[in-house]
Amino acid sequence: MKKIQILGTGCPKCAKLATNAEAAAAALGIEFELEKVTDINDIMRFGVMMTPALAIDGEVKAVGKVPDVEAIKDMLG
Amino acid sequence: MADCDEDEVRKGDDGASCCDGNGGKNLLLYACSGGANVAEIADRIARELMFEGRGAMFCLAGLGAGIDGMIQTAGDADLNVVIDGCDMDCARKIFDNCGLENYIQVKVTDYGIEKVKGARATDDQIAVVMAAVRGTIAKA
Repeated sequence: MKKIQILGTGCPKCAKLATNAEAAAAALGIEFELEKVTDINDIMRFGVMMTPALAIDGEVKAVGKVPDVEAIKDMLG
Repeated sequence: MADCDEDEVRKGDDGASCCDGNGGKNLLLYACSGGANVAEIADRIARELMFEGRGAMFCLAGLGAGIDGMIQTAGDADLNVVIDGCDMDCARKIFDNCGLENYIQVKVTDYGIEKVKGARATDDQIAVVMAAVRGTIAKA
């Protein structure tokens, strides 16, 4: 099971990133758990300076932007 | 950092920004971390630009340590401004070692400032290099 984490305090871009990540995982037909990490101290522990950010299985894949569904599919693959 | 609105830049004590930095561009600032006067100049310029809201100062040591989230942060920035103190080019080399190419470098000693251990930076020196950094960012 993939662990997808959305790092952000809850702005519209964070929500869009979560939507895209869910769509990407669903399109690939993979099992996943999606977690929204909203505490700034928890976010900073990832070494992330800009939000929203995306981590997959604990590895930061995108920072300060909202990748589209296709890009996230590549990250998940 | 509390909730954020789209396109808003937030700067907390940690200098973190939310959603967009610098008017839609993610500009990160890295300074030489040495002990000589040129490092103080680099550091003070990076901080001043951060406090102006021009960009977010970030941790050069974190990149040097190879922390993946920090490398990804730098890699996804629109521009990283690397302020080196001297010809050792430590900051630039850290970026190169991380495989990062989206940076511009400014070197303090390129502006007629001698590297001296145990000396304080002067306001005049900072002003000279600050002008150079601003100009370099403007051209990037």
